[in-house]
Amino acid sequence: MNRKLTFACLALVASLALGATAALAGTARGTSDPGVTSSTILLGGTAPLTGLASPYASVSRGADAYFKYVNARGGVNGRTIIYRVVDDGYNPALTVPATRQLVEQDRVFAVFNSLGTSQNLAVRPYLTSMKVPQLFVASGATTWGRDYEQFPYTIGFQPSYQAEGWVYGKYLARTAPGATIAVLFQNDDYGKDLLGGLKRGLQRSKAKVIAAQPYDPTSPEVSSQIAKLKASGADTLVIFATPTFAVQAYTFAHKLGWKPRRVINNAVASASTTMARAAADGQNPLVNSTISIAYLKDPTVAEWQSDPAMKLYRTIMARYAPDANADDPLHVYGMAVAWTAVDALRKSGKDLTRAALQKVLDRFTAVGNPFMLPGIIVKTSGKDHFPVEQVLLQRWQNGAWKSFGGLWGYRAS
Amino acid sequence: MSRTTLRTLLVFVAFAVVVMVLPAFVNDFRAQQFSYVGIYLIALIGLDILTGYTGQISLGHGAFMAIGGYTTAILMIDHGVKDIATIPIAILVAGVAGVLFGFPAARLSGLYLALATFGIAVATPELIKRFEGFTGGGSGVNLFGTPELTASLTPVRLAGVELNFNNWLYYLAWTLALAGYVIAWLILRGRTGRAFRAVRDSETAAVSSGVSLTRMKVIAFGISAAYAGAAGAMFAIATTYVNPDTFPVALSIFLLVGVVVGGLGSLKGLVVGAVFIQFMPLWTQSISKKPGAPAVVYGVILILVVLALPGGASGLVSRVTQLVRRGQDFPKP
Repeated sequence: MNRKLTFACLALVASLALGATAALAGTARGTSDPGVTSSTILLGGTAPLTGLASPYASVSRGADAYFKYVNARGGVNGRTIIYRVVDDGYNPALTVPATRQLVEQDRVFAVFNSLGTSQNLAVRPYLTSMKVPQLFVASGATTWGRDYEQFPYTIGFQPSYQAEGWVYGKYLARTAPGATIAVLFQNDDYGKDLLGGLKRGLQRSKAKVIAAQPYDPTSPEVSSQIAKLKASGADTLVIFATPTFAVQAYTFAHKLGWKPRRVINNAVASASTTMARAAADGQNPLVNSTISIAYLKDPTVAEWQSDPAMKLYRTIMARYAPDANADDPLHVYGMAVAWTAVDALRKSGKDLTRAALQKVLDRFTAVGNPFMLPGIIVKTSGKDHFPVEQVLLQRWQNGAWKSFGGLWGYRAS
Repeated sequence: MSRTTLRTLLVFVAFAVVVMVLPAFVNDFRAQQFSYVGIYLIALIGLDILTGYTGQISLGHGAFMAIGGYTTAILMIDHGVKDIATIPIAILVAGVAGVLFGFPAARLSGLYLALATFGIAVATPELIKRFEGFTGGGSGVNLFGTPELTASLTPVRLAGVELNFNNWLYYLAWTLALAGYVIAWLILRGRTGRAFRAVRDSETAAVSSGVSLTRMKVIAFGISAAYAGAAGAMFAIATTYVNPDTFPVALSIFLLVGVVVGGLGSLKGLVVGAVFIQFMPLWTQSISKKPGAPAVVYGVILILVVLALPGGASGLVSRVTQLVRRGQDFPKP
């Protein structure tokens, strides 16, 4: 009996040990704040590396490539940046343990560039209570800037969805007065913010939203929503979605023989393959003349082919992410946000602490981000915690985006 | 007390001691991962009672976990009930749901039952989204930082020991898991357990011995769902967040995988199944981050486990103990 007992205990201990050895990662302990050593800064973030939203993985890939480029040139104030990305499959329920892993096991200095609105909302109270910066959230939800006082450790980056929706509203009100608008939107804060902004932009104009259909990010397809939107008799279709659903929206609208005016939000429009997939080799005429906004340089646009920053972009991609498709503009987003992070970390000084970074971000002005459209300034001050608030309108023509008009500026307040 | 009972008791006590001292040796993030092992163990015990002992296959236990999880989340957020107090209610609600599902399910057998239970696993996330006002819809319910969530902001003092959130979760999950283990053992060793096994082995024989099939199947479903409800409640507390994707179809399948790896119709190997569910996906991801690669590695390992150990981990334990016993019986030359 004793031998059996010993064996049983051994087996149990062995099974637990098996788990323990599963992922023994080194922990970096800084002198003052976690994640900072004399030679390194550890940043971490979550991204959908797998699953339906995996096209967005390009954002973290682009940022990673830029950090490697900066590291090769001496890093930030003598420290190299380590950027650890954990897969959450775009599922907020996985973002929570993944973020806890980054904070408690990997001990990151800051959570940086984690992707998704619900995903970041799910971890914001946690990061606030742990006093870990939630740096440049990869989501344009208005709440990152608006609720800054309640969640001082969180800051967004891209133009807020509300601002973006507002620009579409103003544009439609100006160029198509009397437009009847149908909206397909994702049923979360992402879609609702865009829709709210659109309605605000349409205020005091004759153009009106006459139908709005939500869809759930985990639902398989949106055919019934598109059918209902068409049945509303609207002459304008606005798509506030993620890539897979946007492609479906174009396909179903075309199949139904609907020919509305088209507007699509930037987060979808800038995913490399969305528009090309939707166009289906020119078989879907609906894709042409779609309107969207832009604030980043698009690597596929002829205008930027000889631009030094875009040449640098291609060099970095070729060296540090050779397997990736450099035509995917989401990589540019990743580099633009990484450029800004490097700028903020540099300005935080040699004695890098979370407090120092917070102070820098409170009154932050970064001019000349090479990956953004000329003239756009990344800026926060006092109560305004929306880093990017300027955009250009663009139109999809013959397989590429082309910008038109001047900069549109938005004030949140 | 018979020798077997004594031995089982000793092994269990040894195991409980290992579990209770483990947090002293691992960092608290690891403790959090192990608390998920405890949570999965609770669900696996429940599923094993139903599938392993009573022979009723369920591909829908994630749905019962969802019922438990949402009961806890809604009680905490909308009604200000303390997290621990929600667990018994979650167990009750899920148990009742299990009994109600058990009545129609008792008429189905084999493949048809698997399909019906798979159906509820598929429908649950959609149902949660449908009743958005009640469940919070796709955006889910965030529990972190609420006063109802014990130890999330300030450590909790328990018997003179200060526990942070992760260690608190660990002890809460494992206390429930060990209690659940004992309860399952008590149920299964007695009359009810014998009736369950009779239903599994031969329905005809069971009926002719005076066992009511419907009654036993409904009881098994109820108990099993109650375990899943406890696991779901703990899952919500540990993740501090629930949304429809917290309890996807894949979870139901992982649970069945866990029971098979642990060994159907035996409680002793289930902890291995729980470790498998928690750590195998992490481990396969650490091997390769290429799209699809982790899933392939996971699948291959699963096939190998099932081929090499048809009886799961408990089958392995039995086989080795038999070998040892046979070795003892042989006269030494």
